[in-house]
Amino acid sequence: MTNHTPSTALEVRGLTRAFGEGDRLVRALQGIDLTVPAGSFTAVMGPSGSGKSTLLSCIAGLERPTSGQVLLDGTDLGGLGQNELAHLRRDRIGFVFQGFHLMPYLTAAENVELPLRLAGRRPDRHQVVALLDRVGLADRYRHRPAELSGGQQQRVAIARALVTSPAVVLADEPTGALDSAAAQDVLALLRDAVREAGATVVMVTHDPVDAAHADTVVFLADGRVVGRMDAPSAEAVAGQLAHLDDLVGAAR
Amino acid sequence: MTGLALRSLRHRPTSFVATLLAVGLGTVLMGSFATLVETSFGPVSDVDAETLVVMGAVVGGWGTLIVLFAVASTAGITVGQRAAELGTLRTVGATGGQVTRMVMSEVLAVGAVAALLGAGVATLTGRLLLGALRGVGLVGGDVVAGPGIAALGVTVAVVLLTTALAALVTARRATRGAPTVTPAEDGPQGSVLRWWRLLLGVVLVGYGVAMGVVTITVTADSADPYAAMSTSGSSSILVGVGMPTFAPWLLRGLARVGRPLLRGPAGHLAGLATQRRATSLGGVLGPVVVLTAATVGTLVLVDIDRRTVVGALDGDTELITLLNNVVVGMLSLFAAILVVNAYAAVLAHRRDELRRLWLLGATPEQVRRTVLLEAAVVAVVGVALGLLAALTTIVPFSIARDEGVVPDSGLWLPPVLAVAVLAVTLAAAASAFRRAVPPRVLAGAAA
Repeated sequence: MTNHTPSTALEVRGLTRAFGEGDRLVRALQGIDLTVPAGSFTAVMGPSGSGKSTLLSCIAGLERPTSGQVLLDGTDLGGLGQNELAHLRRDRIGFVFQGFHLMPYLTAAENVELPLRLAGRRPDRHQVVALLDRVGLADRYRHRPAELSGGQQQRVAIARALVTSPAVVLADEPTGALDSAAAQDVLALLRDAVREAGATVVMVTHDPVDAAHADTVVFLADGRVVGRMDAPSAEAVAGQLAHLDDLVGAAR
Repeated sequence: MTGLALRSLRHRPTSFVATLLAVGLGTVLMGSFATLVETSFGPVSDVDAETLVVMGAVVGGWGTLIVLFAVASTAGITVGQRAAELGTLRTVGATGGQVTRMVMSEVLAVGAVAALLGAGVATLTGRLLLGALRGVGLVGGDVVAGPGIAALGVTVAVVLLTTALAALVTARRATRGAPTVTPAEDGPQGSVLRWWRLLLGVVLVGYGVAMGVVTITVTADSADPYAAMSTSGSSSILVGVGMPTFAPWLLRGLARVGRPLLRGPAGHLAGLATQRRATSLGGVLGPVVVLTAATVGTLVLVDIDRRTVVGALDGDTELITLLNNVVVGMLSLFAAILVVNAYAAVLAHRRDELRRLWLLGATPEQVRRTVLLEAAVVAVVGVALGLLAALTTIVPFSIARDEGVVPDSGLWLPPVLAVAVLAVTLAAAASAFRRAVPPRVLAGAAA
């Protein structure tokens, strides 16, 4: 509701998140600023405990920030109640999780439709089949997750994330449970979603090869943004990660 | 492994209490009637001995079926819940045999404590029961309670054997195949119908129906007004206990029929879940069928008896009515506990899956409604099957007492009881949902 430009899909301002109190206070995020343009592919990288997952949870409205703002497609998440956040998640956000998170008793097509169903909308079968076709699973739409490989399950999850044409797709270690061939397929699909369908993707990862598929890499350490890299290569990202300590010093 | 077993117990108080209650209450129920049989071997007249045996073996027999069913399914559920934990133990190097022994020693430790406590209570309740029989003159005033050691010993042994068998079957299932910490979610085909399960179900249902037929053709004409009751009384329970062995298949078929009735996003999910998750929800369907069959069958039977009995002493009728009501009360309580247990187990197992719905944008209310609608489908199917099972007692006994296929009155009983069972099932689902998925799981607090 403020001065965001139409081309900004996601804006994070001064975000902090602390857990516990007193001696056991943990500052997971210590003032994150991040602007994600619409139609871009951003990778968030950092070592374990750097706050990557907490950041993603705050962006998705799964966790409330201690202070700061998250503007998703111009909407300030801070002012929304539990139900409004749920509506936001199914309408404006697409999720891709490391563990796929498909519903075991639904077929591939029914899983893709789920966000529409939850919104009480009647899904368009053609659209669903077209999406499954796009992720290379047109012949698998009646299969249940247990009948699909990990890579296939993740591709169903990507189709599900895209079904509502969300403002932003949040991917949390989407290749973490996959072999390298399946991982490449998944990353190519995310890349295509950005390039061809104009989607906006924010992906948390710890793998430099994954991050190299993005337009921009944002480095996180100790809950702070400590660096950025445009048009990254896997080598450059790996090199930067190896010297993250220098960046942390510089950021302080 | 025993040390590990005992330590693991402390971490799962809910399943600990579930096993304790099922085995303990079961032993009280079975043990009280078993002591009557033992007393009959003492210095009593032939007539008294026969009364005691009929009381203990026939009336107690109905209870035994339900008790064994409850104990077996509780042990099965509590072990089945721990597939992930058992898988973890195997990945770090425990052999299948070690894991099975751990589970068995755990279940038997709890079971033994519960059974011994139950046996202690049963010596008292058994005496109270005998006192009641003496009080109304059904047996002579000189009948003295036997020591009860043999009866209670047999009861404890049978209960523990059933518990151990159920735990063994489930533990073996959990330790089959390659060890994994993430047990597969429901496979596409669900579980396979094992031949012994099918056989058990067919025998129980067949036996129940046969007893109903015997009631109409043979015992209806007997001079003893209670002959018909002794043959038809257990039919509803036999059929009710037998039906759940086919529960997943019945649920799958019936849920498909009912699906168009379920509307909205929650209804859509609930319909698909009950149809395709029939194997896990079948664990709840069973107790609902037994609860309905036992209460409706027995209470309508008692009602018909009260109206139609002729030539027997008033005291007799009153006592038998009282006994039947006590038995029905205890069994209902028992089956109700089982419904609650089963629901808690099913939902605890699905916590991640329900949280997943919320992550994807379902409101907490939608998640809750999905679970409650599933419970409603299970409850309606279970009550319908239970009423069907109850007919195997009601119709033969009604015919035997010359009221025809439909009893003359008391027809308000089945619908009232059906509504009560529906309410119990929904309440069990609601409370299990609150415990398995507390509000904080579906709010920003949990990460």
